[in-house]
Amino acid sequence: MTTLVQEAPGAVGRTGGATGSGLLRYLVIRFLLIIPTVLVLVSVVFFLMHASGDPITTAFGDRLTPQQLHAKLHQAGYDRPLLTQYLDYLRSLGHGDFGRTATDNQAVSRMLRTYGAATAELAAYAMAVALAVGVPLGMVAAAHRDRAPDVALRLFAILNYATPVFFLGLLLKLVFAVWLGWLPTSGRSGIDVQLELENQTSTTGIYLLDAVRSGDGSAVADVLRHAVLPGVALGLLVAGVLLRLVRTNLIGTLSAEYVEAARSRGVGPFRLVTRHATRPALIPVVTVLGLQVAGLLGGAVLTETTFEWKGLGFELAHYLTVRDYAAVQGIVALFAVVVAVTNFLVDVAAALIDPRVRY
Amino acid sequence: MSRQLGAARHGRAALSLGAAALMALTACTSTKNDDGSGGGGTGGTPAKALTIGTTDQVTSLDPAGSWDAGSGTIEDEVYATLLSPRNGSSDVKPNLASAIRLTGPKEYTVTLKPGLTFANGHELTSSDVVFSFNRQLRIADKNGPSSLLYNLASVAAPNPGTAVFTLKSANDTLFPQVLSTAAGYIADEQVFPADTILDDTAVVAAKPWDGPYAISTYQKNSLVSFTANSGYKGLLGTPKTSHVQLKYYTDASNLKLDVQQGTIDAVYRTLTVTDLQDLATKKDLTVHTGSGNGIRFIVFNFKTQPYGSATKQADPAKALAVRQAVADSVDRAQLADQVYKNTFQPLYGSVPDGITGATPALKALYGDKKGGPDKAAAAKALSDAGVPTPVTLNLQYNTDHYGSSSADEYALIKSQLEATGLFKVKLQSTEWAQYGKDRVADLYPLYQLGWYADYLDADDYLASFYAANSWVNNGYSDPAVKALIQREETETDPAARTALIQQAQDKVAASVPLLPLLQGSTAIVTRAGVTGVPAKLDSAYQFRWAELGKR
Repeated sequence: MTTLVQEAPGAVGRTGGATGSGLLRYLVIRFLLIIPTVLVLVSVVFFLMHASGDPITTAFGDRLTPQQLHAKLHQAGYDRPLLTQYLDYLRSLGHGDFGRTATDNQAVSRMLRTYGAATAELAAYAMAVALAVGVPLGMVAAAHRDRAPDVALRLFAILNYATPVFFLGLLLKLVFAVWLGWLPTSGRSGIDVQLELENQTSTTGIYLLDAVRSGDGSAVADVLRHAVLPGVALGLLVAGVLLRLVRTNLIGTLSAEYVEAARSRGVGPFRLVTRHATRPALIPVVTVLGLQVAGLLGGAVLTETTFEWKGLGFELAHYLTVRDYAAVQGIVALFAVVVAVTNFLVDVAAALIDPRVRY
Repeated sequence: MSRQLGAARHGRAALSLGAAALMALTACTSTKNDDGSGGGGTGGTPAKALTIGTTDQVTSLDPAGSWDAGSGTIEDEVYATLLSPRNGSSDVKPNLASAIRLTGPKEYTVTLKPGLTFANGHELTSSDVVFSFNRQLRIADKNGPSSLLYNLASVAAPNPGTAVFTLKSANDTLFPQVLSTAAGYIADEQVFPADTILDDTAVVAAKPWDGPYAISTYQKNSLVSFTANSGYKGLLGTPKTSHVQLKYYTDASNLKLDVQQGTIDAVYRTLTVTDLQDLATKKDLTVHTGSGNGIRFIVFNFKTQPYGSATKQADPAKALAVRQAVADSVDRAQLADQVYKNTFQPLYGSVPDGITGATPALKALYGDKKGGPDKAAAAKALSDAGVPTPVTLNLQYNTDHYGSSSADEYALIKSQLEATGLFKVKLQSTEWAQYGKDRVADLYPLYQLGWYADYLDADDYLASFYAANSWVNNGYSDPAVKALIQREETETDPAARTALIQQAQDKVAASVPLLPLLQGSTAIVTRAGVTGVPAKLDSAYQFRWAELGKR
């Protein structure tokens, strides 16, 4: 019996699996796969955007004389062949240069840094909520398999997943901000705190970190208060997925032989779940979390718009409306990189946790 | 059973812990500042900063690059003009100027106040004045206010304290009013390029402020903070509130909630009528309504409207019939009542009621001739011109500039037009930042526009729409109307001038280049403790931050 417990998935690597060089090769291959993934995404966006004309003409065509327009097009390089522009764009991307927005002439890279930090912060809150809600509730559901709490939690998960994030956001806002008045309705912080944080000499753009660095407790509290509703709205989107995944995996591991063995040895139900079944059940969750990053970024567009959370999602919605291709391209390129890198990191984590996934 | 109960107990414990943490977080952070601004207190930020919320968007901080409410809200505070209207009056008084004199039939001489400087320390002299006006004319941005300078021939600086304006036409008594408009902001010649628009970041960095306030922090269309400009020597004097913050919203409902909860102190453009009605019932809020110098109308693009000059079926007579049939079909009273709960009033002429010379020229010409719609009249106009029905109308409107009620307004217009059976209306909305560009690029055959007076004179509603290089830019051009406008601009006899203004309106009404719909003003909402906003906004609809205080 003891042997069976030791051979739980988490321990497989110690008895067999790949060698260190195998892991390295796997990681290198996975890392190199980031490049074509990003390249394809960026290229598709580039050509789709350029299919409807250049950004300068779109933004300024009606405001400039043909001579001025030509000069501007020449200056920006939009009068060159599309392939040349594409190759130059890729070269610039390689150097971290995303160009400038056509409508308000700001460096796209600066915009990505500023608003990317806001979106990263929101995604972190959402992920924290997703883990805090999805994992324990999944465990509760598994423990009550096919009983009332399980059914209720599965319904909760389905509703979460099916409810549009903006609708959930509005609902949360109505209850907690309007009716109860507990939380702010919108924004990343109060106005004074925003000014204080933005005026700091060195900022990360992540308000919580900046507030902590400022040493102002009330600023930290203010930032957290503003984070609750958007974090919950976006987090619940993923929490539903996690709940069902944890439940399913946990039910699977709870019926595994090594768990049965532990049970027969008199291990209590709580210890059985937390000590023996949860870890292997959570391994697939890591992978799914990586996949959920793309969903989070998509959800961020609606959540940020609902809560006036001025991050990349909010900006993407704005720049799409005003057809600022340079900005849209930059944001989508960054999203592509984030999703690709996250999936790489997930692969790394999965490989380290469970050597069976290695090549 | 006991296992499951045990797990459930732990699950409940985890949930309770999470809920308790959330409640504790909420409880320990829900206190508001004394000023009701909410959020945590911060070091270095004045407690009495006044915060204004808006859904407007900034197009450009360059005075030559914008002429819209969103940009104007900031520009009015950070730039100054030579002359400026007093509160509650359309009379203009010296602002950066100390005096203005008519020194010839076509010549105004302006003397500057001594010792004027920009916030960056640069001296403000008549050289900057010459630069500013020449720059407006040279750039002539389609979204800028240069068309207001229609009568300016040249400007000179005989000495650093004097500027001389030479006009194209004599006896232009309106020119001092023009100097008080957005076209008259004095820009720092050491900062702004002479022939191109400067981007906002560069403008803010260079501090070319000569108005009551200076921008201290600028996050475009997010949050802008202002501090009183100690170098300002204009008409308004030292602002009553030294710090003002302008917070931008994309969603009017968030704006409403924030003023309701005290996160912001005032709302300046734009809440829905329903929101305003709701807020008016709250005891700690005041809704200030204005008289009607703001107007709303539909513009017909003469090139791209049905049978327009650039369409395949170009036919001026049929195009006119379409415009007239639309004029016959809209029910303004219903729009004012159902959409705006009568906070806006029907408008039957280009010039709003109450302004000298205003005449309801369209009332007698269209619909039931009493202001109401008439399906039969519309049908006759179309059939007389041989226009097959239904006529397809591509109608554009905007939701983030004239308020979100625009969606309801244009849905009702579509419904009214289609109810006649004569029209098939395709509605589309676009954000303002793009809308401004698209409309002047002739992309919209029929489109919504609105207008607030730059100066309270009928001319501002005529020259801006129908004169040469008009802001509306819809391809309408009638030499007789232009001549009438030019004559009223230089007519010194008030009665004769009023007659000319009315003739121009009558003439325009017959060809309907734009269809006036409503008149009124956007409301301002303030929280208790905010002072300086008149209970009833005056006809000039001035909302000057320098006058605002906060108890």
